[in-house]
Amino acid sequence: MRLFTYLRRREWTPVLGCGLFVGFMAAGYYYNVTFVQLGLLDLGTRLVGMTELQVSTWMAALALLTFFVAVASGVTMDRRGWSSELLVKFRLLFGVVALQFLLTLVAPTIRTVPAFGAWILAASVALGVGIPASFSLAVDLVPVEDRGYVAAAITAVAYFAANVYPLDWRIEAFSAVMVAAMAPGAVALGALASGRVGVANRLVARLARQHEEFGVGRFCRTETGERTGEVRPVRTRSFAFWGPVVLMFGVFFVDSLGFLRIIETPSFVLGAWQSPDFSDHLALGVVHVVSALVAGVLYTNFDRNWLFLWVFGLFSLTHLFYTTDVRTAAWFPALAGGQVSPINSAVYAVAVSFYTTLNFALWPDLSTPETVGTHTAVGVGLAGWLATFLSTALALYFETAEVTLLSHLNVVNALALLLFTGLVVAIYLRRLVAAARGDDVSSSPGVRR
Amino acid sequence: MAAPSEVLPLLVVVILLMTASGQSADRMEVHFDGDRAVAQVEEVLVVGGGTATIPEGAAPNGTIYVVGGDFRVRGSLDGDVTQLAGNVSVADAGAIAGEYRTIAGNSSIAEDAAIGSRSRVEFTQRDRSPAADFGFLALQALSLALVGAFLTRRRPALLRNVGDSIAHHSVVSAVVGAFTGATALALFVFMAFTLILIPVSVFGIAVGLLSAAYASLAYGYLVGARLPIDRPDLSSGVGVASFVVALDLLGRVPLLGPIAQFTLVVTGLGAVLITYYGFREFEPALSKLEG
Repeated sequence: MRLFTYLRRREWTPVLGCGLFVGFMAAGYYYNVTFVQLGLLDLGTRLVGMTELQVSTWMAALALLTFFVAVASGVTMDRRGWSSELLVKFRLLFGVVALQFLLTLVAPTIRTVPAFGAWILAASVALGVGIPASFSLAVDLVPVEDRGYVAAAITAVAYFAANVYPLDWRIEAFSAVMVAAMAPGAVALGALASGRVGVANRLVARLARQHEEFGVGRFCRTETGERTGEVRPVRTRSFAFWGPVVLMFGVFFVDSLGFLRIIETPSFVLGAWQSPDFSDHLALGVVHVVSALVAGVLYTNFDRNWLFLWVFGLFSLTHLFYTTDVRTAAWFPALAGGQVSPINSAVYAVAVSFYTTLNFALWPDLSTPETVGTHTAVGVGLAGWLATFLSTALALYFETAEVTLLSHLNVVNALALLLFTGLVVAIYLRRLVAAARGDDVSSSPGVRR
Repeated sequence: MAAPSEVLPLLVVVILLMTASGQSADRMEVHFDGDRAVAQVEEVLVVGGGTATIPEGAAPNGTIYVVGGDFRVRGSLDGDVTQLAGNVSVADAGAIAGEYRTIAGNSSIAEDAAIGSRSRVEFTQRDRSPAADFGFLALQALSLALVGAFLTRRRPALLRNVGDSIAHHSVVSAVVGAFTGATALALFVFMAFTLILIPVSVFGIAVGLLSAAYASLAYGYLVGARLPIDRPDLSSGVGVASFVVALDLLGRVPLLGPIAQFTLVVTGLGAVLITYYGFREFEPALSKLEG
């Protein structure tokens, strides 16, 4: 790891930069998986009085708007050169955090549907601008060699915290935690973004120069031949960029479509994410941490396709476990009231940690400082938010069509298996074509003859 | 009520036993919860939880499997009872016309109860003598040493590549080994529950064990390279034998021994996998950029 080298040499600027990045991203992701995904559902149903269906529709609108705002912001950042200017990114982020702070503070007071809608609209602007502004910080703050481990650290911190605190999935609890956490963060970010605090200015100036060394992502260099290591940026309109976008879209879609149904099934969540027993939450948190670290090691040492294969394989396995439980309950109804195996939620947690780690590292690694705004916005926006929008819409359709739990999870399992098989076939065909052309087939990921 | 994870494996065994005796799973009833008076049995009744009782005066005809809960006989059963777990009791007036076979679980049979025939399957674990233990270990070490020496002579690159990964890429080897091992084990156990895939499951576990044995050859190769023996095949063979014995001795150290043993095995297994059984040298993806 480059970070250890910096630590040995007592070069604190890059170490501090990595710490800042882990802090920002972990806090942002924690906010997303708790306040946005769980808190809004409670706000809409309990305090505003909407049905779950109505809230889900609003959530889908949030995802769609966030996607559009993210792409618009990312493209603007690249075109105006803001993606290469750390101070501008800090200022954008400060605006995002300030707006989100206010929104978080007022959220528990919302009681009407129009107010809820206005909140969604404002939040989608904040989240949409926040995506390229925050993810693009990686090119300034994180050495390419360490991105897998840094992504693992973000995933581990965010999911561990989200699993152990707060246990109460109510908007008031989420709001109190977030406001307390965001206040000092907003002050620190304000100091960095203001340009008026001497110490912060010097730090920002030093960090801003790092993109000359860290800026070119891992997949923007040639990997074989005499020109190994030479800069070869991934173009936005290339298969090298859209291939991972499609795969990550599949990952988010599969996860979201399955999880939306799983959290509505009491026997699945009461022994895991909504268990009254704290040790269940702690166990899930530890599983997230360990599997994020594993994913970090794998990302650093293998080609990204391997990690995608693991993710699809794990999701297939997870949904196989869940569907087996449902089938068992159908065959032996007396078993239906029994406890669901903790292995199901543990394997689910492993799969989620794997792809989250991949998501944090992949987009900056497919970018240069000139393209990072667009690539992170399209990558995270399309793969993450648009996939969530479409999966929510499909889940709502399944609900109105009264699709059974088993059929729903079967669809998810089939999708995961299809993506797994499709990726295996695609990798094989790519090598086959390379072999037929007489190219170097031995340049396969992670190995050499 | 018993958890599914406890009862399901026994249900699988019951289905296997039924298939072996020509009975159809379609005609099977399962009782899991509450109290039930058994006056009639369709063909097979499996007691998995709760209490099932043949009341006085009742005389059902069928086969009973007990895998959990309580089964009480106060009337007379015209059929066999096989007990895999749970409790079986037969009252004075109770009768089992067929065979009562006990594999595990508790039973209470009254003196005047009428049982057609009774058998108990005993599973006794005989401790091996130290000499037998030593003999088995010596045989294991010798056979692996021969394979290690043979491979070193014929295809030295295989063990060298695996050994290099163990020595120089130990973290990624350990991570891949532990993660693949855990996932594969869960998958194979799951496959076994489907019954149809039992052969695949057994094959997969056998491949896993052989891969672990292959890893021990690579460790032996590494040990052999540090021994003052000139012939590479001989040094490798001695290294493998030493490693096998050392690994066995390590397992006898309380607490830390098994942890160290596990770490060595998963690291070796991972190194075997990431080098494609030694056919390729492992190169971390990022090293291409550094190079």
